[in-house]
Amino acid sequence: MTDKYQFTEDGFLLSRRRFMAVGAAILALLALPVGWLGNRIAKRNEYIKARADALYMDDAIAKYRVSHANPAIARYYSEFGGEPLGHLSHELLHTHFVDRTKLKS
Amino acid sequence: MTATSYQPGEIRGLIQIDALKCKGCDACKQFCPTHAIEGASGAPHKIDEERCLSCGQCLINCPFGAIHETQSALDTVLTKLQDPNTEVVGILAPAVRVAIGEAFNLPKGQLLTNKLYGAMHQAGFKIFDCNFAADLTIMEEGSEFIHRLHANVRQEPDAGKLPQFTSCCPGWVRFLETEYPSLLPHLSTAKSPQQMAGTVAKTYGAKVYEMAPEKIFTVAVMPCTSKKLEASRPEFKSAWRFHQQHGSDAAPYADVDAVLTTREMAELLKRLDIHLPDVAEYKGDSLFSQYTGAGTIFGNTGGVMEAAVRTAHKVLTGEELAKLELAPVRGLEGVKEAELTIHDQQLKQDVQLKVAVVHDMGRNIRPLLEQVMAGTSPYHFIEVMNCAGGCVNGGGQPINGSGTSWVAQL
Amino acid sequence: MHQDNRPILKHPLNVRVFHYILLLSFLPLAATGLLLFFKPLSDSAMGLTYDIHIVAGVIMALDAVAFTLMAFDRVVLFTNRVFTFGGNDVGWFKVLGGYPQKFLLGKKVAVPPMRKYNSGQKLFGVCVLLGGTALIITGLALWLVPYAIPRDTAWLLGMIHLGCGLLLTAFLPVHLFLAVYRFDDFKAMMLHGKVPYHDAAEYTPLWVQEEVVPVSSKHAE
Repeated sequence: MTDKYQFTEDGFLLSRRRFMAVGAAILALLALPVGWLGNRIAKRNEYIKARADALYMDDAIAKYRVSHANPAIARYYSEFGGEPLGHLSHELLHTHFVDRTKLKS
Repeated sequence: MTATSYQPGEIRGLIQIDALKCKGCDACKQFCPTHAIEGASGAPHKIDEERCLSCGQCLINCPFGAIHETQSALDTVLTKLQDPNTEVVGILAPAVRVAIGEAFNLPKGQLLTNKLYGAMHQAGFKIFDCNFAADLTIMEEGSEFIHRLHANVRQEPDAGKLPQFTSCCPGWVRFLETEYPSLLPHLSTAKSPQQMAGTVAKTYGAKVYEMAPEKIFTVAVMPCTSKKLEASRPEFKSAWRFHQQHGSDAAPYADVDAVLTTREMAELLKRLDIHLPDVAEYKGDSLFSQYTGAGTIFGNTGGVMEAAVRTAHKVLTGEELAKLELAPVRGLEGVKEAELTIHDQQLKQDVQLKVAVVHDMGRNIRPLLEQVMAGTSPYHFIEVMNCAGGCVNGGGQPINGSGTSWVAQL
Repeated sequence: MHQDNRPILKHPLNVRVFHYILLLSFLPLAATGLLLFFKPLSDSAMGLTYDIHIVAGVIMALDAVAFTLMAFDRVVLFTNRVFTFGGNDVGWFKVLGGYPQKFLLGKKVAVPPMRKYNSGQKLFGVCVLLGGTALIITGLALWLVPYAIPRDTAWLLGMIHLGCGLLLTAFLPVHLFLAVYRFDDFKAMMLHGKVPYHDAAEYTPLWVQEEVVPVSSKHAE
């Protein structure tokens, strides 16, 4: 059928009001999921921050806030460990590392 | 003989991808610090265990739950708890107490130290807070740093290498050992708090608990899957060697016998019908539950550095830091740095201390390592944590479905 | 009796172009989508399947975006049509548009009068509009940022993507068959955009009655 068409749709099928309403619904259909996803992405680290804040609070409320003031640590050294970097520390609390490019199974 | 990146006895292939559940979406690849995950997009993925650090970041971030651990000590620990001849000592990491509540439907960010102590006490554990060991780590590593600093300033011939790297993160240590072994001398020789705790529990702890060391079963409760691999390192039998030298003929035992992730500890409590939110608070049963604020912040990125600086400042200047919070090393920036001018009493001069903190290691570490290799690093001390945010976001933490550990810019 | 073959413009050029690109992209998407779900092929074949799925998906997304931007009025019209339901639609579904009777029994049954799209087409239109939009949005998110959205969200988007994909793929054989069966409309959508008056009068009488108007010669193609 290659003739020129003789009929078409009436361009004023929709009232302006209806056009606006449907148009708004379409835009909402598109914008709402995208907005929701954007929000979830923006809030993605809330749980990491919450856990970290809790540890900083544990620090803020602590009776002692510096390692060298811990009486239990002082007892460890005086009753058993000697002193930091001492002989016993080297044996028990220090280690060496391994060049894993040279390991064979 | 084929090349391998594992010593005999170390746990291999801890993290595995289930090919049937994998959708090939490539989310995991974004989190792998060593590009150890193979597989084209759309095809099932596979982890190259030689490159894998067992950090578990892929596991906690897979949207389809297709990645799992292949080893769990849960049943062993439950059996040991029932054994009247064994003293089970629970070593608790800082990051566990602020996340385990999530496994019991409590809101995020709840600090549950004494509840957790209570729950574990009820289960039969002795309480050994890893934060005590963290304080110990600061004493050892802080002293080591000052020693290296002075030796370098005085230009002594066998001065230890600067910048010094922290060594508590097993993912970071394995990363250096496999990819940058030439930089190993920069690592602090101090063990991680977990390993110090295991060793101390079976030596000094044997006296405190009045128990034969070979009857002590140490269980580390960690936010980390790589800690399982760390505990299995064959050289970590320091307590056994110590007792051998003092006449013991017990068969060899590890310093840390088992590692449970936060998830596994929650599961253990549930199996024993211990409902964490309802448990009575418990203050601990020995000096091993005494810790400082410096020790507890080890779980955060920047926490180790902040703790070390607090002590280094006291040792070098004779005075406490006026403001203990070191703000520049806190937060989720990939690389953070801080500068302090300290008057060193021993050297009798001012020292301009420059420190750096790196987390989300895979994404952020290489430029700093290149600097160190080129000899142009401006830093004296660098803290490195594999996981974005630090251990609070470790591969062993409860999996938060409404979050992702993508902290980098999109 | 002679048929009234006077042509009515049913699908303008921009609509036809949009539909072409849609079908050229959706058919590979459906095929590769099923393969990606069942994963029956080798690893390298799955990799290629994924690449095809992405390319076709991006083409479909661009097609949809371009059409929405450049022909927003047609989108509004279409949406209005497919979401307008009434008693006639219930009656249409009760006889399934008369198609099974025609194919299986050779009988012609009475069908309530329809507008431009019959009830079945409107149902398909709703599925395409909502399902297609969902597929595009979830597909883009899962392709570009599966690591940056929360784990549960990624899983949910994956389920939505799968569900809508399966729905539209299931509809596909029905659409393809009936689209060809309604041969005048097939030619309209795939060739020149025009249906003969008699076809419209038979299948879409209310459309002809309420919307179709004669044009002056200067509007003709």
